[in-house]
Amino acid sequence: MNKIFNQKLKGFAVANAFAIVLISITAYFKPESALLVFSEFIIIPILIGLIIAYFLRNLPAISTRKLAGYSCYNTIIIIALSAIFLHEGAICLVIVSPLLIVFIFLGMLGGRSMFHRDNEILNVSVFGLLMLVFIVDSLSKHNYTNMVADEVVINAPVSEVWKHVVAYKRIEAPNKYWLFQIGMPSPVESTAEGYYLGAKRKCIFSNGYVFDEKIVTYDVNKNLTFDITHQPRDPEIMGHIDILRGQFLLHDNGDNTTTLTGNSWYKLYVFPTWYYDIWAKSITRNVHLRVMEHIKQLSEEK
Amino acid sequence: MFLFVRKYFGFLKFIPGLAIVFDGLLKLGSFAAKPALLDWMDEIEAAVLKWPNTHATTHKYGGLQLNYIKTEIGHIHGNGLLDMLLSRKIKEQLMADGRIEDHHTFKNTGWISFYIHNKDDAGYALALLRLGYERLEGKNNNDL
Repeated sequence: MNKIFNQKLKGFAVANAFAIVLISITAYFKPESALLVFSEFIIIPILIGLIIAYFLRNLPAISTRKLAGYSCYNTIIIIALSAIFLHEGAICLVIVSPLLIVFIFLGMLGGRSMFHRDNEILNVSVFGLLMLVFIVDSLSKHNYTNMVADEVVINAPVSEVWKHVVAYKRIEAPNKYWLFQIGMPSPVESTAEGYYLGAKRKCIFSNGYVFDEKIVTYDVNKNLTFDITHQPRDPEIMGHIDILRGQFLLHDNGDNTTTLTGNSWYKLYVFPTWYYDIWAKSITRNVHLRVMEHIKQLSEEK
Repeated sequence: MFLFVRKYFGFLKFIPGLAIVFDGLLKLGSFAAKPALLDWMDEIEAAVLKWPNTHATTHKYGGLQLNYIKTEIGHIHGNGLLDMLLSRKIKEQLMADGRIEDHHTFKNTGWISFYIHNKDDAGYALALLRLGYERLEGKNNNDL
């Protein structure tokens, strides 16, 4: 029992120390980059799982249930280390946890099977291949931008909707989106220094953060486009995504109703995008919907 | 969830590695919902690997594959779903007992599906695998 405990502790310690070294090396060679690449969320967790499995290789067969439990423990360790050393916010850590658990677990399962075969060539090849992918990925250029669009139909003419698009009073409605409910900042108010092209606009979030914006298209009753000129560096998400531009398009439906389309362009600094873009879209969509539902409510008030 | 993913996202199984990731998710789901299921699957694996000429591999579409020499006896997905090939005659007899189902993809073949829900099911799954093993062993002996 003691042997299992000791080997497990050694495995956790060496695996996490190895992960810290790899991340530190990446940070050392790219100090100015806020980028977190695919390898840091996939390859490193797999390597962590493999290393832990390596330390457990000489013990009686470790059950799959125990390996699943170990992957959960190790995810908690990584989350704690990320919060302490990388100053990551709680919501970021909630988002990243599923990736970590799954790939640490897969690393452990793969490692258990691999080390059972006791084939040195196989072991070194797998480890070498993973390290190669890590190095190539870390040195590669990463750039990902995307756009999210949402639509609502408002029972009011475009002229009425337009009044609330440029600036709107404080949103008092309770948050419906679960990430906003657990503490992620949500939009609450927008102010503009004037109703003209080039005017500065501010989008204020629930925690007091302010996005500074500048109106770049001002086509009355049709199109309001604004560039984000400054955004807060918040540990919760904001360091990992830049909102580049926002847009409201108004379409007169001819029956005294208006279709309001909200578009946002953003740039992601975390990879793989097949995972993080799901979250980015969901968050951006819910920012849109919160604002657009508010505009709808204001426009439809008699 | 397994059937939903298979129905709407089944085409993704051709992406290398994705089925293995999905099976890992299924195992973690089992760990959260019914951890003993993982133990029963381990026990089945250990029992089958004691039979001569058997070995385990990863199934190409995710899961633990149990083989006799170079032929698959059956595979178990991370949610406790056993899929295996029997003769149509054996399948008909077993279907009459009402415990097994037509395979979730290959209908009207010798393939069957069986969900492991409890310890008793795990014993039945092992018995099914033994049937498959003996069938393959018999074939092999006839070929010699």
